[in-house]
Amino acid sequence: MKYRVVVRRCKEGWGKPEYKSYEVDVDPDTSVLDVVEKISLEMDRALVFEHACHHGVCGACGMVINGVERLACVTKIGGVARNGIVVLEPLRGFRVISDLAVDKSRMFKQYALVKPGTHEKVNGVVGIEKLLDCLECGICYSACPIANTFEEYLGPSVIAMSYRSTIDGKIPAIIDTRKGVWACHASFECSARCPADFKPGETIMKIRKGLLFGKLEVV
Amino acid sequence: MRMGYVIRSWFKVRGRGLEQVSFAARRLAGIIMALYFLVHVIDISTVVLGKEVYDAFLEVFTSPSAIVVDLFLWAALVIHGVLGVYSLVIEMGIMVEKRKMLLALSWFIIVLFFLVGAWVIMNVS
Repeated sequence: MKYRVVVRRCKEGWGKPEYKSYEVDVDPDTSVLDVVEKISLEMDRALVFEHACHHGVCGACGMVINGVERLACVTKIGGVARNGIVVLEPLRGFRVISDLAVDKSRMFKQYALVKPGTHEKVNGVVGIEKLLDCLECGICYSACPIANTFEEYLGPSVIAMSYRSTIDGKIPAIIDTRKGVWACHASFECSARCPADFKPGETIMKIRKGLLFGKLEVV
Repeated sequence: MRMGYVIRSWFKVRGRGLEQVSFAARRLAGIIMALYFLVHVIDISTVVLGKEVYDAFLEVFTSPSAIVVDLFLWAALVIHGVLGVYSLVIEMGIMVEKRKMLLALSWFIIVLFFLVGAWVIMNVS
């Protein structure tokens, strides 16, 4: 089946982005990531995008597909095309490096702020490792209207990770601040778009409840 | 951060869930009411310009076409108020698991309150 894939292109030094369209003939079950790779290999070698695992685990290929944040590798083109058209844009809330690739350091930097991390170190050795579902794809940042507009906000995934990695009901002080749980305004788009069903929105509200009713201790 | 980007982020509803749509509606209604408050302050402050000027403004606000504006403002007030209460409950971490039911109930109350208020606005002068 024929599709028109419109990609938001933006390179360093460009004054403003431009949208470039490509005609592809693929099966409706083809993943959007495979379509992007086809475009890259056969039509436009300069198209920049991120990918790695191709099966929804690494979180590298998060992008905005027809207005909604999704992992391109597990999204079938036939399921998202509108009248045969698919518009691809980079995740919102992050600096665009080039085309569909964004700089997620804004999110990764916040992980350093949150103590403890997922690895509890005891005497320099990993004592306990909690395996959490978060893919660190950045989709929750892109979907969240607050993370999009309040740059200091720690972000949904970081807050949820920090809470779930605690073992004794103690949360880092930074979580109980304006740039932590109190920035959230409960639009729950983070949870709705999360490809791993990590439910960061629900976790944020759980932390708030714990703080309000004295069930959580801030350290 | 550019204002256009902020506005687009707040009011992005295409492909979004009812919770994001409600977030956008509540925020938009709040902005409308804040602007109305500003207009209202300007309107009542015209009293210092004399009775004639103030009465002229009052005439505008009591004209039949102003009913449409009244209905619009009433809708904004009800949306902001009811969704505000919903938000207060959810943002305290209460009933988070049942929030979709609570949100549906909130919109039902919004429609109900709007209809009752609209009837009063159009029939009681």
